[in-house]
Amino acid sequence: MRWMRRVALIPALLALSSCSGTKQDIFSPKGSIAKDINDLQVKVFIAAGVVGVIVAVMLAYVIVTGRRRGKADGDEEPRQIHGNFRAEIAWTIIPFVILVGVAVPTVTTILNISHRPANAMKISVYGQQWWWSYEYDLNGDGTPEIVTANELVIPVGVPIELQVQSRDVIHSFWIPALAGTRDAVPGRVQILELEASQPGVYDGQCKEYCGLSHANMRARAVALSQADFDKWKEGQQENAPTPAAGTAAAAGLDTFKTKCASCHQINGVNKIEGQAALVSGHAPNLTHLMSRSIFASGNFSLFVTNTQGQLVFNRNQLEAWLRDPPGQLPMAPTEARGMPNLHLGDNEIDQLIAYLQTLGPYPAGAVAPGS
Amino acid sequence: MAIIEAPDSAPLALPSGGTVAPHQALGVFSRPGQSKGWRSWITSVDHKRVGVLYGASAILFFLIGGMEALLIRLQLVHANGTVLNAAQYNQVFTMHGITMIFLVVMPLGAAFMNYLMPLQVGARDVAFPRLNAFSFWCFLFGGLFLNSSWFLGGAPDGGWFAYAPNTNPIFSPSHGMDFYAIGLLITGIASTVGAINLVVTVINLRAPGMSLMKMPVFTWMGFVTQLLIVFAMPVITVALFLLLFDRNFGANFFNVKAGADPLLWQHLFWLFGHPEVYILILPSFGIISETIPVFSRKPIFGYPFMVFSGIAIGFMGWGVWAHHMFASGVGPLSVAAFSVTTMFIAVPTGVKILNWVATMYGGKLTFTTSMKFSVGLVGMFTIGGLSGVTHAVSPSDLQQTDTYYIVAHFHYVIFGGALLGFFAGMYFWWPKVFGYKLSEKLGSWHFWLILIGMNLTFGPMHIVGLQGQPRRTYTYNKGYGFDFWNMIETIGAFIIALAVLVFLVNVFSSRAKAKREHITVGNDPWDARSLEWMVPNPTPAHNFDEVPVVAHLDEFWHRKYGEDENGRPVRVKATDDVVQAGDPTGVHLPSPSYWPIVIAASLPLIGYGIIFNLGFAALGGFVLFLGIYGLGLEPSMDPDAAHPHDDHDDTHDDAPAAADDEESHEEVTASE
Repeated sequence: MRWMRRVALIPALLALSSCSGTKQDIFSPKGSIAKDINDLQVKVFIAAGVVGVIVAVMLAYVIVTGRRRGKADGDEEPRQIHGNFRAEIAWTIIPFVILVGVAVPTVTTILNISHRPANAMKISVYGQQWWWSYEYDLNGDGTPEIVTANELVIPVGVPIELQVQSRDVIHSFWIPALAGTRDAVPGRVQILELEASQPGVYDGQCKEYCGLSHANMRARAVALSQADFDKWKEGQQENAPTPAAGTAAAAGLDTFKTKCASCHQINGVNKIEGQAALVSGHAPNLTHLMSRSIFASGNFSLFVTNTQGQLVFNRNQLEAWLRDPPGQLPMAPTEARGMPNLHLGDNEIDQLIAYLQTLGPYPAGAVAPGS
Repeated sequence: MAIIEAPDSAPLALPSGGTVAPHQALGVFSRPGQSKGWRSWITSVDHKRVGVLYGASAILFFLIGGMEALLIRLQLVHANGTVLNAAQYNQVFTMHGITMIFLVVMPLGAAFMNYLMPLQVGARDVAFPRLNAFSFWCFLFGGLFLNSSWFLGGAPDGGWFAYAPNTNPIFSPSHGMDFYAIGLLITGIASTVGAINLVVTVINLRAPGMSLMKMPVFTWMGFVTQLLIVFAMPVITVALFLLLFDRNFGANFFNVKAGADPLLWQHLFWLFGHPEVYILILPSFGIISETIPVFSRKPIFGYPFMVFSGIAIGFMGWGVWAHHMFASGVGPLSVAAFSVTTMFIAVPTGVKILNWVATMYGGKLTFTTSMKFSVGLVGMFTIGGLSGVTHAVSPSDLQQTDTYYIVAHFHYVIFGGALLGFFAGMYFWWPKVFGYKLSEKLGSWHFWLILIGMNLTFGPMHIVGLQGQPRRTYTYNKGYGFDFWNMIETIGAFIIALAVLVFLVNVFSSRAKAKREHITVGNDPWDARSLEWMVPNPTPAHNFDEVPVVAHLDEFWHRKYGEDENGRPVRVKATDDVVQAGDPTGVHLPSPSYWPIVIAASLPLIGYGIIFNLGFAALGGFVLFLGIYGLGLEPSMDPDAAHPHDDHDDTHDDAPAAADDEESHEEVTASE
């Protein structure tokens, strides 16, 4: 019978393997926390699969033999067996013991993955309808030096402590390659530990239904080597360059100040108070927009790869977004949730894009504007 | 209103020779007298009619919820679908969940429990027949009220779980969530009141000799279910009132700015929500504990263990609620505790699965449609239960939660468990209720189509869930690997729809055939084991001619069969000698009443009032007030009210003026 069990493992493993190798699958850990989870869950899945096969075989057996008996010509009735105390005790105790065997490593893993290392780098993650923002308080003085959106940039091999929070409803931050999910609950700070084991780009999304555009609330973790991360940090702490007077970019900055700055931030450009505010009070900080790979809650790429393998700015997509944001992603701007259609004219859009294109540093391999 | 013909012949003749005039109708508070036609259904308090009404309404809501499911599957058949926009999708998936849980599975359970539990314990009706009728109308009007939201500004769109603060007026500005709160408050009244009724029925109205450990397993599971309802419904009632007051009367229970913690809603909801899932499944566990023994010609294996595992599930179900909150931030100690308790609830469930298998082992199996569905439940629920155990491992659940893997789990246990069980019960008890069987041939098509359909629909959800497709999402992008399996799932959903169509064809064509060919199924068509089969088919209005005295578990079987020295059954009496004749002489039936439906109708009025215009609420309140008074003041129609009831035996016969007694001694045949 043992060979049957081994054979039965094959479809189970095949099914499991078809579940890995995709963008957000839970069986491809790229970080220590996700790996701890995966080590436990693979064993549990296999155990559940084995139990399932055993029950299936038992069921098939009683069906086949009982049906044969039912169709047999003889009138012999079955013995009216009312029970078997020993069997009942056995199949109460054995599953109990198996579950103890599952419970012990489960509790150990729970405690391991929630352990908060003292040297962890702390990053605040904010969920708001319908995008993720990240704030890095590098010197621990209470104000963040770096505020970004959509992409969480982290160094490889360093324990990260995410302080997950919400500015409106409950969201849930999830990058499966790195860790399980943690809810962002307004009024609370919830901790999620993770650590990337290799450089890479890891996709995820909000996992707690948060209203209209929950499906579009994407997230991404970008793990960089320590050297690259340090370089990124430096680049993120510069203020936005002021465009030369008379350029399209300068006109774009003026448009930004009048039309965008009541919600969006650019470091060095004053936010306009008193105008229409969002329920969550925040829109993405755009100071280093061009250093990111995605925009609009992570649904669109800022760069596309051209035939020569270079990253080229995805102007069409950003223009479509600026022209009519609610037409690109469902939002509720009339309820102060999400970006409204500002009815920007073509000139304004061109100038705004010219200005936004100055908000680098550009990623390596990207074609900078004007070249 | 009521029209009671004053008896125009001689008043009742009592043995003593004295006479007494029947109570004169008090005008508007008199009792209805119809025994046939739609008005008899509106005013009936007969538990069997209430059961049929629950079942028929549940099936109607099943079609609505099913269409919502098909819309979901059409939207998700490929990436970036355009069948539904985000706002529409969010209403559809919310209503699909609410409909299936509250308006289909719970009332289907209520249908079976209402019809069968009094019969299985040898009683004439439930303890509080008018309250029973009220429960049904309350449920129906609550369900209609909820669905009226589609036409009145939009359906609820916060998910069936309605997490705060997303459900507050800032984030859910339409009336949808008010329809949610009030609609579920109304249906919650129905469930709570019905549960009290059935619990009292089981405790107080069992036939002589029927100790608790001689009740059929179905009645036991029903009893545990009703006890769960009694304690769980008040929790969600409180939560819904808090939500209603936050949304409409300026309360701050879930207002974070005022200092509230949104997790309060989650705790309240899941404290209800977890026992709720056992409320959904235990009736079907009870059903197959009846059908599998009958179609294996063996008693249920391990009756005491079946009873105690059911009690254990009911009890342990209260200790696992926060497994719905592993990611919510309750802290690692709580997470560990709930992870462990959740694992151990698999033990009593596993005992049941193995006991069903052991019942079949060595049995002489007949694969009627009912048996196919019963065995189908055992298989499908095992799959769902095992995926459930993988969620109990909370680190793994942090990856699985809110993905389609969870959706796969609960559809296997609810669809593959509860629903397949209800179909098993329908094919089994159809002759008891209606007097003819459903077609076995169409039943076979129904079964295989639905089995294949459900596995094609919900099987791949395990895969896409583990590939990271989140749930409650109106679309997904290309490039994530979700496309192929989503298409298969949609195909599977339409196969399920085809199976349901076959079932409906079966229902109508079997009825037409039975009428055309004057088919009567006779007594005990399945050679069954429990008391409900000891009366003719369809069940007479009065249930039992005389209250049976019970000496065994499976009393009916033991009256037909003894056992030889090898433990094999030996016929000792012909079935027709055991089954009662169906003679209603001397049985007093609870009288019909208008007031249950009137009282039930007041509740949606109050609901519309809270949402739109308090004038409606005032009107509803007035009708409620009037209805309760009417219920309290309406006369009993018992003609023997003038003399004490301590001489009830089979020879008690006040039948000479039987023609005048038609109003209350009526034989209410199940009019089609």
